[in-house]
Amino acid sequence: MTEVLKIEGLSAGYGPLRVIHDLDLVIHPGERVGIVGLNGHGKTTLFYAIAGLTGWQRGSILLNGRQIGRTRSQGAGRYTHQIVRQGLAIMPQGDEIFHGLTVEEHLDSGAFTPEAWRTRKARKERVLDIFEPLRKLMKTPVGRLSGGERRMVSIGRGLMTDAKLYLSDEPSLGLAPKLGIAVMEALLAIDLKDSAMFIAEQNVALLEGKVDRIIGMHAGKLKGEASSSFRLSGSH
Amino acid sequence: MDIAFVIINAITVAAIYGLIAIAVSITWSSLGLVNLAYGFIFSFAGYAAWLVATQVSKDPFLIAGAGILAGAVAGIIICLLVFIPLHDKPAFTSRGMIATLAISLIGSQVFLMVFGPTSKSLPDIFGRGKVKFFDITLTAEKIGIVVCSITMLIVAVTWMRSSRRGLEIRAMMMNPHAASIVGIGIRRTGLYVMALTGAMAGLASVLLSQTYYIAPFSGLTPLIKGVSIALCGGLGSVQGAVIAAILLGLVEALTNKFAGGQFVLMTQFLVIILVLMIRPRGISGLVDKAREQ
Repeated sequence: MTEVLKIEGLSAGYGPLRVIHDLDLVIHPGERVGIVGLNGHGKTTLFYAIAGLTGWQRGSILLNGRQIGRTRSQGAGRYTHQIVRQGLAIMPQGDEIFHGLTVEEHLDSGAFTPEAWRTRKARKERVLDIFEPLRKLMKTPVGRLSGGERRMVSIGRGLMTDAKLYLSDEPSLGLAPKLGIAVMEALLAIDLKDSAMFIAEQNVALLEGKVDRIIGMHAGKLKGEASSSFRLSGSH
Repeated sequence: MDIAFVIINAITVAAIYGLIAIAVSITWSSLGLVNLAYGFIFSFAGYAAWLVATQVSKDPFLIAGAGILAGAVAGIIICLLVFIPLHDKPAFTSRGMIATLAISLIGSQVFLMVFGPTSKSLPDIFGRGKVKFFDITLTAEKIGIVVCSITMLIVAVTWMRSSRRGLEIRAMMMNPHAASIVGIGIRRTGLYVMALTGAMAGLASVLLSQTYYIAPFSGLTPLIKGVSIALCGGLGSVQGAVIAAILLGLVEALTNKFAGGQFVLMTQFLVIILVLMIRPRGISGLVDKAREQ
Protein backbone atom coordinates (compact mmCIF):
# COMPACT_ATOMS: atom_id res chain seq x y z
CA MET A 1 0.00 0.00 0.00
CA THR A 2 1.29 3.46 -0.84
CA GLU A 3 2.22 5.72 2.00
CA VAL A 4 -0.30 8.43 2.76
CA LEU A 5 2.50 10.94 3.10
CA LYS A 6 6.12 10.62 2.07
CA ILE A 7 8.40 13.60 2.48
CA GLU A 8 11.98 13.57 1.25
CA GLY A 9 14.58 16.31 1.62
CA LEU A 10 12.05 19.03 2.43
CA SER A 11 13.33 22.51 3.21
CA ALA A 12 10.99 25.41 3.62
CA GLY A 13 10.83 28.91 5.01
CA TYR A 14 9.89 32.52 4.51
CA GLY A 15 12.13 34.95 2.65
CA PRO A 16 15.68 34.66 3.96
CA LEU A 17 14.49 32.54 6.88
CA ARG A 18 14.89 28.77 6.62
CA VAL A 19 12.60 27.05 9.10
CA ILE A 20 12.69 23.41 7.96
CA HIS A 21 15.99 21.71 7.15
CA ASP A 22 16.17 18.62 4.88
CA LEU A 23 13.34 16.78 6.55
CA ASP A 24 12.27 13.19 5.76
CA LEU A 25 9.02 11.70 7.01
CA VAL A 26 6.71 8.81 6.16
CA ILE A 27 3.13 8.31 7.36
CA HIS A 28 1.33 5.03 6.60
CA PRO A 29 -2.40 4.44 6.06
CA GLY A 30 -4.40 4.14 9.27
CA GLU A 31 -1.73 5.78 11.37
CA ARG A 32 -2.19 8.50 13.96
CA VAL A 33 1.04 10.39 14.33
CA GLY A 34 1.75 13.10 16.88
CA ILE A 35 4.43 15.70 16.43
CA VAL A 36 5.66 17.56 19.49
CA GLY A 37 8.06 20.42 19.89
CA LEU A 38 8.41 23.93 21.23
CA ASN A 39 7.01 27.06 19.67
CA GLY A 40 9.02 28.30 16.71
CA HIS A 41 10.65 24.98 15.86
CA GLY A 42 8.71 24.40 12.66
CA LYS A 43 5.62 22.28 13.38
CA THR A 44 3.20 24.71 11.79
CA THR A 45 5.66 25.47 8.98
CA LEU A 46 5.84 21.73 8.23
CA PHE A 47 2.05 21.66 7.92
CA TYR A 48 2.12 24.79 5.78
CA ALA A 49 4.79 23.25 3.55
CA ILE A 50 2.58 20.20 2.98
CA ALA A 51 -0.26 22.57 2.02
CA GLY A 52 1.97 24.77 -0.15
CA LEU A 53 1.49 27.81 2.06
CA THR A 54 5.09 28.64 2.97
CA GLY A 55 7.00 31.49 1.37
CA TRP A 56 9.34 29.11 -0.45
CA GLN A 57 10.09 25.39 -0.35
CA ARG A 58 11.94 22.60 -2.09
CA GLY A 59 11.99 18.84 -1.80
CA SER A 60 9.60 16.01 -2.53
CA ILE A 61 6.20 15.59 -0.89
CA LEU A 62 4.09 12.64 -2.02
CA LEU A 63 0.45 12.63 -0.91
CA ASN A 64 -0.94 9.18 -1.57
CA GLY A 65 1.75 8.64 -4.18
CA ARG A 66 1.16 11.93 -6.01
CA GLN A 67 3.73 14.69 -6.01
CA ILE A 68 2.44 17.83 -4.29
CA GLY A 69 5.79 19.35 -3.37
CA ARG A 70 7.16 21.97 -5.68
CA THR A 71 10.39 23.85 -5.72
CA ARG A 72 9.24 27.40 -5.65
CA SER A 73 10.40 30.73 -4.32
CA GLN A 74 7.10 32.60 -4.20
CA GLY A 75 3.39 32.24 -4.74
CA ALA A 76 2.39 31.02 -1.27
CA GLY A 77 -1.03 29.38 -1.41
CA ARG A 78 -1.26 29.41 -5.19
CA TYR A 79 -1.76 25.64 -5.39
CA THR A 80 -3.20 25.06 -1.93
CA HIS A 81 -6.76 24.48 -3.11
CA GLN A 82 -5.57 21.86 -5.61
CA ILE A 83 -3.54 20.07 -2.94
CA VAL A 84 -6.54 20.18 -0.61
CA ARG A 85 -8.69 18.68 -3.34
CA GLN A 86 -6.29 15.75 -3.64
CA GLY A 87 -7.25 14.66 -0.15
CA LEU A 88 -5.77 16.93 2.46
CA ALA A 89 -7.92 18.18 5.34
CA ILE A 90 -6.31 21.03 7.24
CA MET A 91 -7.53 22.01 10.68
CA PRO A 92 -5.41 25.09 11.22
CA GLN A 93 -3.96 26.49 14.39
CA GLY A 94 -6.04 28.96 16.33
CA ASP A 95 -9.20 30.27 14.73
CA GLU A 96 -8.54 30.46 11.04
CA ILE A 97 -12.23 30.83 10.51
CA PHE A 98 -14.85 32.80 8.57
CA HIS A 99 -16.33 34.87 11.40
CA GLY A 100 -19.41 36.11 9.55
CA LEU A 101 -20.56 32.73 8.23
CA THR A 102 -22.92 30.67 10.35
CA VAL A 103 -21.81 27.33 11.73
CA GLU A 104 -23.87 25.58 9.08
CA GLU A 105 -22.40 27.60 6.20
CA HIS A 106 -19.00 27.02 7.65
CA LEU A 107 -19.47 23.27 7.61
CA ASP A 108 -20.87 23.52 4.06
CA SER A 109 -17.73 25.34 2.95
CA GLY A 110 -15.74 22.28 3.98
CA ALA A 111 -17.68 20.07 1.58
CA PHE A 112 -15.92 21.24 -1.54
CA THR A 113 -15.86 18.06 -3.64
CA PRO A 114 -18.99 17.51 -5.77
CA GLU A 115 -19.66 14.23 -4.01
CA ALA A 116 -19.33 15.76 -0.54
CA TRP A 117 -21.54 18.69 -1.58
CA ARG A 118 -24.36 16.37 -2.63
CA THR A 119 -24.20 14.41 0.62
CA ARG A 120 -23.52 17.41 2.83
CA LYS A 121 -26.64 16.91 4.97
CA ALA A 122 -25.59 13.43 6.07
CA ARG A 123 -22.04 14.64 6.58
CA LYS A 124 -23.18 17.51 8.78
CA GLU A 125 -25.18 15.04 10.86
CA ARG A 126 -22.05 12.96 11.30
CA VAL A 127 -20.07 15.98 12.48
CA LEU A 128 -22.88 16.98 14.84
CA ASP A 129 -22.86 13.48 16.33
CA ILE A 130 -19.22 14.03 17.24
CA PHE A 131 -19.63 17.64 18.38
CA GLU A 132 -23.07 17.59 19.98
CA PRO A 133 -22.90 21.20 21.35
CA LEU A 134 -22.85 22.62 17.81
CA ARG A 135 -26.32 21.25 17.05
CA LYS A 136 -28.21 24.22 18.51
CA LEU A 137 -25.68 26.76 17.20
CA MET A 138 -26.09 25.97 13.50
CA LYS A 139 -27.55 29.40 12.63
CA THR A 140 -25.14 31.43 14.79
CA PRO A 141 -22.29 33.34 13.16
CA VAL A 142 -19.00 31.70 14.02
CA GLY A 143 -17.67 35.07 15.24
CA ARG A 144 -19.96 34.88 18.27
CA LEU A 145 -18.89 31.43 19.44
CA SER A 146 -16.53 30.64 22.29
CA GLY A 147 -13.01 29.40 21.67
CA GLY A 148 -13.91 25.78 22.26
CA GLU A 149 -16.93 25.92 19.98
CA ARG A 150 -14.86 27.54 17.25
CA ARG A 151 -12.30 24.78 17.51
CA MET A 152 -15.10 22.22 17.12
CA VAL A 153 -16.32 24.04 14.00
CA SER A 154 -12.80 24.13 12.62
CA ILE A 155 -12.26 20.41 13.18
CA GLY A 156 -15.78 19.56 12.03
CA ARG A 157 -15.20 21.47 8.80
CA GLY A 158 -12.11 19.34 8.16
CA LEU A 159 -14.25 16.22 8.55
CA MET A 160 -16.78 17.25 5.90
CA THR A 161 -14.82 15.62 3.07
CA ASP A 162 -13.10 12.26 2.88
CA ALA A 163 -9.47 13.20 3.19
CA LYS A 164 -6.44 10.98 2.86
CA LEU A 165 -4.53 12.97 5.43
CA TYR A 166 -5.90 15.04 8.28
CA LEU A 167 -3.55 17.74 9.54
CA SER A 168 -4.53 19.07 12.94
CA ASP A 169 -2.41 21.91 14.27
CA GLU A 170 -2.53 22.22 18.06
CA PRO A 171 -6.18 21.26 18.54
CA SER A 172 -6.03 22.01 22.28
CA LEU A 173 -4.28 25.40 21.99
CA GLY A 174 -5.89 28.12 24.06
CA LEU A 175 -8.64 25.91 25.43
CA ALA A 176 -9.40 25.14 29.07
CA PRO A 177 -7.72 21.82 30.02
CA LYS A 178 -11.00 19.94 30.30
CA LEU A 179 -12.19 21.23 26.93
CA GLY A 180 -8.82 20.52 25.35
CA ILE A 181 -9.03 16.89 26.46
CA ALA A 182 -12.59 16.59 25.11
CA VAL A 183 -11.65 18.06 21.71
CA MET A 184 -8.59 15.82 21.50
CA GLU A 185 -10.63 12.74 22.40
CA ALA A 186 -13.21 13.52 19.72
CA LEU A 187 -10.42 14.02 17.21
CA LEU A 188 -8.70 10.74 18.07
CA ALA A 189 -11.98 8.81 18.02
CA ILE A 190 -12.53 9.55 14.32
CA ASP A 191 -12.62 6.42 12.19
CA LEU A 192 -9.64 6.79 9.84
CA LYS A 193 -10.11 3.67 7.63
CA ASP A 194 -7.11 3.90 5.29
CA SER A 195 -6.44 7.60 5.77
CA ALA A 196 -4.04 9.01 8.35
CA MET A 197 -3.96 11.75 10.95
CA PHE A 198 -1.07 14.02 11.79
CA ILE A 199 -1.43 16.07 14.97
CA ALA A 200 0.88 18.81 16.19
CA GLU A 201 0.71 19.35 19.93
CA GLN A 202 2.77 20.93 22.68
CA ASN A 203 1.10 19.07 25.50
CA VAL A 204 2.62 15.60 25.20
CA ALA A 205 0.39 14.30 27.99
CA LEU A 206 -2.65 14.71 25.74
CA LEU A 207 -1.16 12.41 23.11
CA GLU A 208 0.66 9.76 25.09
CA GLY A 209 -0.70 6.28 24.67
CA LYS A 210 -3.35 7.47 22.21
CA VAL A 211 -1.40 7.82 18.97
CA ASP A 212 0.65 5.25 17.09
CA ARG A 213 3.83 7.29 17.03
CA ILE A 214 5.14 10.49 18.52
CA ILE A 215 7.83 12.43 16.69
CA GLY A 216 9.83 15.24 18.23
CA MET A 217 10.67 18.36 16.29
CA HIS A 218 13.55 20.63 17.13
CA ALA A 219 15.07 23.50 15.18
CA GLY A 220 13.44 22.48 11.92
CA LYS A 221 14.49 18.83 12.09
CA LEU A 222 12.82 15.68 13.36
CA LYS A 223 14.46 14.46 16.56
CA GLY A 224 13.60 11.14 18.13
CA GLU A 225 10.60 8.94 17.70
CA ALA A 226 8.57 6.93 20.18
CA SER A 227 5.99 4.21 19.62
CA SER A 228 2.56 3.92 21.18
CA SER A 229 3.96 2.25 24.35
CA PHE A 230 5.59 5.59 25.09
CA ARG A 231 4.96 7.00 28.56
CA LEU A 232 6.13 10.27 29.98
CA SER A 233 8.75 9.51 32.60
CA GLY A 234 7.35 10.09 36.05
CA SER A 235 3.72 10.15 34.97
CA HIS A 236 3.21 6.59 36.18
CA MET B 1 -43.70 69.33 -3.55
CA ASP B 2 -40.07 70.36 -3.60
CA ILE B 3 -38.97 68.03 -0.82
CA ALA B 4 -40.55 65.01 -2.48
CA PHE B 5 -38.86 65.91 -5.75
CA VAL B 6 -35.50 66.17 -4.01
CA ILE B 7 -36.00 62.82 -2.31
CA ILE B 8 -36.98 61.09 -5.54
CA ASN B 9 -33.92 62.49 -7.30
CA ALA B 10 -31.77 61.40 -4.38
CA ILE B 11 -33.09 57.84 -4.51
CA THR B 12 -32.58 57.61 -8.27
CA VAL B 13 -28.99 58.80 -8.04
CA ALA B 14 -28.38 56.58 -4.99
CA ALA B 15 -29.66 53.51 -6.83
CA ILE B 16 -27.13 53.94 -9.64
CA TYR B 17 -24.10 54.88 -7.59
CA GLY B 18 -25.03 52.30 -4.98
CA LEU B 19 -24.67 49.54 -7.56
CA ILE B 20 -21.15 50.64 -8.42
CA ALA B 21 -20.25 51.14 -4.77
CA ILE B 22 -21.37 47.63 -3.91
CA ALA B 23 -19.39 46.27 -6.84
CA VAL B 24 -16.27 48.15 -5.66
CA SER B 25 -16.86 46.95 -2.12
CA ILE B 26 -17.30 43.27 -3.02
CA THR B 27 -14.22 43.31 -5.27
CA TRP B 28 -12.07 44.89 -2.60
CA SER B 29 -13.10 42.65 0.23
CA SER B 30 -12.99 39.35 -1.64
CA LEU B 31 -10.05 39.86 -3.99
CA GLY B 32 -8.13 42.61 -2.18
CA LEU B 33 -8.27 44.55 -5.44
CA VAL B 34 -9.22 48.22 -5.59
CA ASN B 35 -10.60 48.09 -9.08
CA LEU B 36 -10.10 51.50 -10.67
CA ALA B 37 -11.12 50.11 -14.05
CA TYR B 38 -14.84 50.58 -13.39
CA GLY B 39 -14.57 53.63 -15.60
CA PHE B 40 -13.53 51.29 -18.41
CA ILE B 41 -16.24 48.73 -17.60
CA PHE B 42 -18.75 51.57 -17.53
CA SER B 43 -17.88 52.93 -20.96
CA PHE B 44 -17.46 49.42 -22.39
CA ALA B 45 -20.97 48.45 -21.30
CA GLY B 46 -22.37 51.79 -22.43
CA TYR B 47 -20.91 51.49 -25.93
CA ALA B 48 -22.03 47.87 -26.19
CA ALA B 49 -25.60 48.90 -25.30
CA TRP B 50 -25.38 51.77 -27.79
CA LEU B 51 -24.14 49.46 -30.56
CA VAL B 52 -27.03 47.08 -29.91
CA ALA B 53 -29.49 49.97 -29.86
CA THR B 54 -28.27 51.41 -33.18
CA GLN B 55 -27.37 48.22 -35.06
CA VAL B 56 -29.64 45.46 -33.76
CA SER B 57 -32.85 46.56 -32.13
CA LYS B 58 -34.30 49.11 -29.78
CA ASP B 59 -35.83 46.47 -27.55
CA PRO B 60 -35.24 47.72 -23.96
CA PHE B 61 -34.51 44.25 -22.60
CA LEU B 62 -31.97 43.63 -25.32
CA ILE B 63 -30.24 46.96 -24.63
CA ALA B 64 -30.11 46.43 -20.88
CA GLY B 65 -29.04 42.82 -21.38
CA ALA B 66 -26.24 43.88 -23.71
CA GLY B 67 -25.01 46.36 -21.10
CA ILE B 68 -25.04 43.77 -18.32
CA LEU B 69 -23.37 41.13 -20.47
CA ALA B 70 -20.72 43.55 -21.74
CA GLY B 71 -20.05 44.62 -18.14
CA ALA B 72 -19.50 41.00 -17.11
CA VAL B 73 -17.19 40.45 -20.09
CA ALA B 74 -15.21 43.60 -19.22
CA GLY B 75 -14.93 42.35 -15.63
CA ILE B 76 -13.57 39.02 -16.84
CA ILE B 77 -11.07 40.82 -19.10
CA ILE B 78 -9.78 42.80 -16.12
CA CYS B 79 -9.60 39.65 -14.03
CA LEU B 80 -7.53 37.91 -16.71
CA LEU B 81 -5.26 40.91 -17.29
CA VAL B 82 -4.75 42.05 -13.69
CA PHE B 83 -5.95 39.72 -10.99
CA ILE B 84 -4.71 36.34 -12.22
CA PRO B 85 -1.16 37.39 -13.17
CA LEU B 86 -0.64 39.70 -10.18
CA HIS B 87 -2.61 38.36 -7.22
CA ASP B 88 0.20 36.38 -5.56
CA LYS B 89 2.96 38.86 -6.27
CA PRO B 90 4.29 41.20 -3.57
CA ALA B 91 2.47 44.52 -3.08
CA PHE B 92 -0.57 43.33 -4.99
CA THR B 93 -2.81 46.09 -3.62
CA SER B 94 -0.81 48.94 -5.13
CA ARG B 95 0.13 47.02 -8.28
CA GLY B 96 -3.49 46.07 -8.84
CA MET B 97 -4.59 49.67 -8.41
CA ILE B 98 -2.01 50.92 -10.91
CA ALA B 99 -2.78 48.15 -13.40
CA THR B 100 -6.55 48.70 -13.30
CA LEU B 101 -6.07 52.46 -13.59
CA ALA B 102 -3.86 51.83 -16.63
CA ILE B 103 -6.57 49.70 -18.23
CA SER B 104 -9.09 52.43 -17.56
CA LEU B 105 -6.90 55.08 -19.20
CA ILE B 106 -5.94 52.90 -22.17
CA GLY B 107 -9.57 51.88 -22.58
CA SER B 108 -10.72 55.50 -22.67
CA GLN B 109 -8.18 56.33 -25.38
CA VAL B 110 -9.23 53.32 -27.43
CA PHE B 111 -12.89 54.37 -27.15
CA LEU B 112 -11.88 57.87 -28.20
CA MET B 113 -10.11 56.47 -31.27
CA VAL B 114 -12.88 54.05 -32.23
CA PHE B 115 -16.02 56.00 -31.44
CA GLY B 116 -14.74 59.58 -31.59
CA PRO B 117 -15.26 62.35 -29.06
CA THR B 118 -18.96 62.83 -29.78
CA SER B 119 -21.23 61.65 -27.00
CA LYS B 120 -23.76 58.94 -27.77
CA SER B 121 -27.14 58.63 -26.20
CA LEU B 122 -29.29 55.57 -25.61
CA PRO B 123 -32.99 55.50 -26.46
CA ASP B 124 -35.39 55.75 -23.52
CA ILE B 125 -35.66 52.18 -22.40
CA PHE B 126 -38.38 52.88 -19.87
CA GLY B 127 -40.56 54.99 -22.17
CA ARG B 128 -41.86 58.46 -21.37
CA GLY B 129 -44.79 57.52 -19.17
CA LYS B 130 -45.70 59.43 -16.02
CA VAL B 131 -47.49 58.41 -12.88
CA LYS B 132 -49.30 60.84 -10.60
CA PHE B 133 -48.92 59.83 -7.01
CA PHE B 134 -50.78 62.32 -4.81
CA ASP B 135 -49.09 65.58 -5.77
CA ILE B 136 -45.87 64.01 -6.99
CA THR B 137 -45.17 63.23 -10.62
CA LEU B 138 -43.04 60.12 -11.07
CA THR B 139 -41.51 59.60 -14.49
CA ALA B 140 -41.22 56.05 -15.83
CA GLU B 141 -37.50 56.57 -16.17
CA LYS B 142 -36.99 57.17 -12.46
CA ILE B 143 -39.20 54.29 -11.39
CA GLY B 144 -37.42 52.06 -13.89
CA ILE B 145 -33.96 53.02 -12.64
CA VAL B 146 -34.83 52.36 -9.01
CA VAL B 147 -36.67 49.09 -9.73
CA CYS B 148 -33.88 47.80 -11.97
CA SER B 149 -31.09 48.55 -9.50
CA ILE B 150 -32.98 47.11 -6.57
CA THR B 151 -33.79 43.97 -8.56
CA MET B 152 -30.16 43.59 -9.58
CA LEU B 153 -29.06 44.10 -5.99
CA ILE B 154 -31.55 41.56 -4.66
CA VAL B 155 -30.52 39.03 -7.30
CA ALA B 156 -26.83 39.55 -6.51
CA VAL B 157 -27.28 39.36 -2.74
CA THR B 158 -29.58 36.33 -2.93
CA TRP B 159 -27.10 34.57 -5.18
CA MET B 160 -24.30 35.35 -2.74
CA ARG B 161 -26.34 34.13 0.21
CA SER B 162 -27.77 30.94 -1.21
CA SER B 163 -25.53 29.52 -3.92
CA ARG B 164 -22.38 27.56 -3.47
CA ARG B 165 -20.27 30.02 -5.47
CA GLY B 166 -21.70 32.79 -3.30
CA LEU B 167 -20.62 30.89 -0.21
CA GLU B 168 -17.12 30.65 -1.68
CA ILE B 169 -17.06 34.38 -2.42
CA ARG B 170 -18.26 35.26 1.08
CA ALA B 171 -15.70 32.90 2.59
CA MET B 172 -13.00 34.64 0.59
CA MET B 173 -14.28 38.06 1.71
CA MET B 174 -13.87 37.06 5.33
CA ASN B 175 -10.61 35.15 5.29
CA PRO B 176 -8.75 34.57 2.01
CA HIS B 177 -6.08 32.48 3.70
CA ALA B 178 -8.57 30.07 5.25
CA ALA B 179 -10.50 29.98 1.97
CA SER B 180 -7.60 28.32 0.19
CA ILE B 181 -7.30 25.88 3.10
CA VAL B 182 -10.88 24.71 2.57
CA GLY B 183 -10.20 24.15 -1.12
CA ILE B 184 -11.58 27.35 -2.64
CA GLY B 185 -9.61 28.29 -5.76
CA ILE B 186 -8.71 31.97 -5.54
CA ARG B 187 -8.32 32.53 -9.27
CA ARG B 188 -11.58 30.84 -10.24
CA THR B 189 -13.52 32.67 -7.54
CA GLY B 190 -11.88 35.87 -8.82
CA LEU B 191 -13.49 35.28 -12.21
CA TYR B 192 -16.95 34.89 -10.64
CA VAL B 193 -16.51 38.02 -8.54
CA MET B 194 -15.32 40.13 -11.44
CA ALA B 195 -18.09 38.90 -13.73
CA LEU B 196 -20.74 39.62 -11.10
CA THR B 197 -19.43 43.08 -10.20
CA GLY B 198 -18.84 43.86 -13.87
CA ALA B 199 -22.47 43.00 -14.61
CA MET B 200 -23.59 45.33 -11.82
CA ALA B 201 -21.48 48.16 -13.24
CA GLY B 202 -22.81 47.37 -16.72
CA LEU B 203 -26.40 47.78 -15.56
CA ALA B 204 -25.48 50.98 -13.73
CA SER B 205 -23.99 52.27 -16.97
CA VAL B 206 -27.16 51.62 -18.96
CA LEU B 207 -29.27 53.22 -16.23
CA LEU B 208 -27.10 56.30 -15.93
CA SER B 209 -27.10 56.86 -19.68
CA GLN B 210 -30.84 57.41 -19.42
CA THR B 211 -29.90 60.78 -17.91
CA TYR B 212 -26.35 61.40 -19.12
CA TYR B 213 -24.49 60.51 -22.31
CA ILE B 214 -22.04 57.79 -23.22
CA ALA B 215 -18.60 59.22 -23.94
CA PRO B 216 -15.04 57.87 -23.79
CA PHE B 217 -14.49 59.44 -20.37
CA SER B 218 -18.03 59.17 -19.02
CA GLY B 219 -17.02 56.41 -16.59
CA LEU B 220 -14.79 58.68 -14.55
CA THR B 221 -17.43 60.37 -12.38
CA PRO B 222 -19.29 57.13 -11.58
CA LEU B 223 -15.96 55.54 -10.68
CA ILE B 224 -15.04 58.36 -8.29
CA LYS B 225 -18.48 58.32 -6.72
CA GLY B 226 -18.61 54.54 -6.52
CA VAL B 227 -15.23 54.27 -4.81
CA SER B 228 -15.97 57.09 -2.37
CA ILE B 229 -19.41 55.71 -1.48
CA ALA B 230 -17.85 52.28 -0.93
CA LEU B 231 -15.24 53.86 1.38
CA CYS B 232 -17.86 55.86 3.21
CA GLY B 233 -20.07 52.81 3.71
CA GLY B 234 -17.20 50.65 4.88
CA LEU B 235 -15.44 48.38 2.38
CA GLY B 236 -16.87 44.90 2.31
CA SER B 237 -20.34 45.70 3.58
CA VAL B 238 -23.40 45.70 1.33
CA GLN B 239 -25.65 47.36 3.92
CA GLY B 240 -23.06 50.07 4.54
CA ALA B 241 -22.81 50.82 0.84
CA VAL B 242 -26.61 51.09 0.55
CA ILE B 243 -26.81 53.52 3.48
CA ALA B 244 -23.90 55.58 2.16
CA ALA B 245 -25.42 55.66 -1.32
CA ILE B 246 -28.71 57.01 0.04
CA LEU B 247 -26.90 59.55 2.21
CA LEU B 248 -24.73 60.81 -0.64
CA GLY B 249 -27.61 60.72 -3.10
CA LEU B 250 -29.52 62.96 -0.73
CA VAL B 251 -26.55 65.30 -0.47
CA GLU B 252 -26.28 65.42 -4.27
CA ALA B 253 -29.97 66.14 -4.77
CA LEU B 254 -30.04 68.79 -2.03
CA THR B 255 -26.92 70.49 -3.38
CA ASN B 256 -28.37 70.47 -6.89
CA LYS B 257 -31.51 72.07 -5.55
CA PHE B 258 -30.13 74.73 -3.24
CA ALA B 259 -26.62 75.51 -4.48
CA GLY B 260 -26.18 74.27 -8.01
CA GLY B 261 -24.62 71.27 -9.78
CA GLN B 262 -21.07 72.61 -9.68
CA PHE B 263 -20.95 72.21 -5.89
CA VAL B 264 -22.04 68.55 -5.83
CA LEU B 265 -18.58 66.97 -5.62
CA MET B 266 -17.52 69.47 -2.93
CA THR B 267 -20.43 68.80 -0.60
CA GLN B 268 -20.25 65.07 -1.21
CA PHE B 269 -16.60 64.86 -0.29
CA LEU B 270 -17.18 67.08 2.74
CA VAL B 271 -19.80 64.63 3.96
CA ILE B 272 -17.50 61.67 3.25
CA ILE B 273 -14.67 63.32 5.19
CA LEU B 274 -17.04 64.00 8.07
CA VAL B 275 -18.27 60.40 8.16
CA LEU B 276 -14.74 59.02 8.01
CA MET B 277 -13.64 61.36 10.81
CA ILE B 278 -16.34 59.97 13.07
CA ARG B 279 -16.16 56.36 11.85
CA PRO B 280 -12.77 55.70 10.22
CA ARG B 281 -13.92 52.31 8.93
CA GLY B 282 -17.07 53.69 7.38
CA ILE B 283 -20.72 53.43 8.32
CA SER B 284 -20.98 49.66 8.19
CA GLY B 285 -19.51 49.19 11.65
CA LEU B 286 -22.94 50.24 12.94
CA VAL B 287 -24.80 47.38 11.30
CA ASP B 288 -22.32 44.59 10.68
CA LYS B 289 -21.68 43.24 14.15
CA ALA B 290 -19.72 40.10 13.39
CA ARG B 291 -17.40 41.91 11.04
CA GLU B 292 -14.53 43.00 13.25
CA GLN B 293 -14.45 40.00 15.54
